[in-house]
Amino acid sequence: MMLLIMAWRNIWRNKARSMTLISSIALGLFAGVFVLAIYQGMLKSRIKTVIRDEISHIQIHHPLFRNDYEAIYTIPQPEKLQVRLQAINEIQQISARSVAEGMLATGTGSNGVEIRGVNPANEREVSNLDEKLVEGTYFNTGLKNQLLIGKKLANKMKLKLNHKVVLTFTDRDNNVISAAFRIKSIYQSTNTPLDERIVYVKRSELNPLLAIGSGAHEMALLLKNDESLDEVEKRLQKMYPQLSVQSWKELSPETEMSITTVNQFSIIIIVIIMLALAFGIVNTMLMAILERTRETGMMMALGMNKPKVFSVILLETVFLTLAGLPAGLLLAWGLSLYTGSYGINISSFAEEAMSSFGYASIIYPEFPFQYLSDVLLIVIITALLSSIFPAIKALSMPPVEALKK
Amino acid sequence: MKTVIDVHNISKIYNKETIPVYAISNLHLHVERGEFSALVGPSGSGKTTLLNLIGGLDKPDEGRIVINGINITQMSSNQLIDFRLHNIGFVFQSFNLVPVLTARENVEFIMQLQSIPKKQRDDRVFALFKEIGLEDKMDVRPSQLSGGQQQRVAVARALASKPQFVLADEPTANLDTKSASTLLDIMALLNRQENITFLFSTHDQRVIERARRVITLTDGRIISDTAVVDTSHKIEKKVS
Repeated sequence: MMLLIMAWRNIWRNKARSMTLISSIALGLFAGVFVLAIYQGMLKSRIKTVIRDEISHIQIHHPLFRNDYEAIYTIPQPEKLQVRLQAINEIQQISARSVAEGMLATGTGSNGVEIRGVNPANEREVSNLDEKLVEGTYFNTGLKNQLLIGKKLANKMKLKLNHKVVLTFTDRDNNVISAAFRIKSIYQSTNTPLDERIVYVKRSELNPLLAIGSGAHEMALLLKNDESLDEVEKRLQKMYPQLSVQSWKELSPETEMSITTVNQFSIIIIVIIMLALAFGIVNTMLMAILERTRETGMMMALGMNKPKVFSVILLETVFLTLAGLPAGLLLAWGLSLYTGSYGINISSFAEEAMSSFGYASIIYPEFPFQYLSDVLLIVIITALLSSIFPAIKALSMPPVEALKK
Repeated sequence: MKTVIDVHNISKIYNKETIPVYAISNLHLHVERGEFSALVGPSGSGKTTLLNLIGGLDKPDEGRIVINGINITQMSSNQLIDFRLHNIGFVFQSFNLVPVLTARENVEFIMQLQSIPKKQRDDRVFALFKEIGLEDKMDVRPSQLSGGQQQRVAVARALASKPQFVLADEPTANLDTKSASTLLDIMALLNRQENITFLFSTHDQRVIERARRVITLTDGRIISDTAVVDTSHKIEKKVS
């Protein structure tokens, strides 16, 4: 107990020096943790985009469909499947899609596209497609051959509303089919590569062209909550072994990989910050130890053994380091809370870059609670490591020499 | 009388590799329980070096030092730390109290190192502060005490561990006459009442006058060893 008291009071011998170090630790931690919060916000937003705008939680295909996107590989009896899936409590909404790889051609050029035939009502529930429209209206009921294209593709092909384009693709018998569609709406998501590639038509109009009857190539399943993903995926894989049931993690491995990478990168950032701070801690502790060489010698002369002297220095370093921790975390939490509500808008300088990687240009930082134990561990390890050199310095001098100082 | 300190033919040599300087040279000394002795001599005569050697803070290059029947010369530095904790009390010239601890904590700290239970610690701390006359200053920091008061707390700290003897290096050097006198009164009283052995190094005539044995060192050798039965009767033993 006395060692704790001594270590704590030693910190406050030179208040200005200790406060400078505590402030730098607090600021360093604040910066590190807030960067984590930004990454966390970006990742969460990216995952949300992947689930809500691009893939949904789970997709079901014919096992061979995703190899070459051939029209023949449809899900048998999709309506029956849809009814059965709808009965699963965890599933919120289902969109059955017909998909074809093809070309979009105008009088002046062409572009490779993925044509998605959708049921407009179901699709809006699964992918919020109607909310992404920047021009036109979402699939008018009375009109035939309506096409919904991305803004990026429209700009690239110089297309506007009501322009006519020709979609060319192969049907289930590998016949080349061309059909004219009229652009009735333009959408913009946070993922420009997808905006350039995916066009939407009504499934009821695409299926006859593909000669697949009432077939569908893809079932996109939106779950009620993210937590049930693994459980539902496993259950569906058991229920439909003849079909390919994949979660967004398998369908978008780059997103899963970026989560892992960012997690590791986040820890590296904290380690680098703490490593830089460790030099400050060592410096401060060395100054403190050198100032009390005589006192340390006196305590050893009186019978305080080396482990106890080391403990005081260690405790002092840990106290000094931990003193900056709450302030740093509190600052980071406060700013994360504020910016998490209002967002950090970086669209003025990074919208293009962000959207090309599928990230939104408004970031909503999220305090990384799950990293707190790691941060605490890193801080304590830093303190322990930082105390070693000053402690060695303090213990290296025999008491008789130290008492002469 | 029981021998507490038995210094047998010790030498301490500095600059052994270049020009050897004998800080202590073939020195013999016996100190018995209950002595109140002063080591005197000019600066550089080896007083502090001898105290450091007896206190296990330094090691002799030759000879051996036996404390209470235990040869401390061969002990490792860790063994010496533990030995000092349980056997030797120190009073330094410049008080050397821990500034971040209160007077009470400075004294109690030594007993904590000895793992003495709280109740016993509290009782002994109070008794010691009563003996040094600072019961009302127990909870103040050293910086709020005068030099004399700080040195009295240092004496209490030295006695807290119930040592075999107390080594005091120039204990009155930084004190005014009144404080020095009070300190000496306390130490003399503790010596008489509790039979605590004190060995001082000093230049201070006030200490020398109160000592019952005066050992004079010059160039690392004892040149005289005078036992004083009372202030009017000195028995001097010249040492060659």
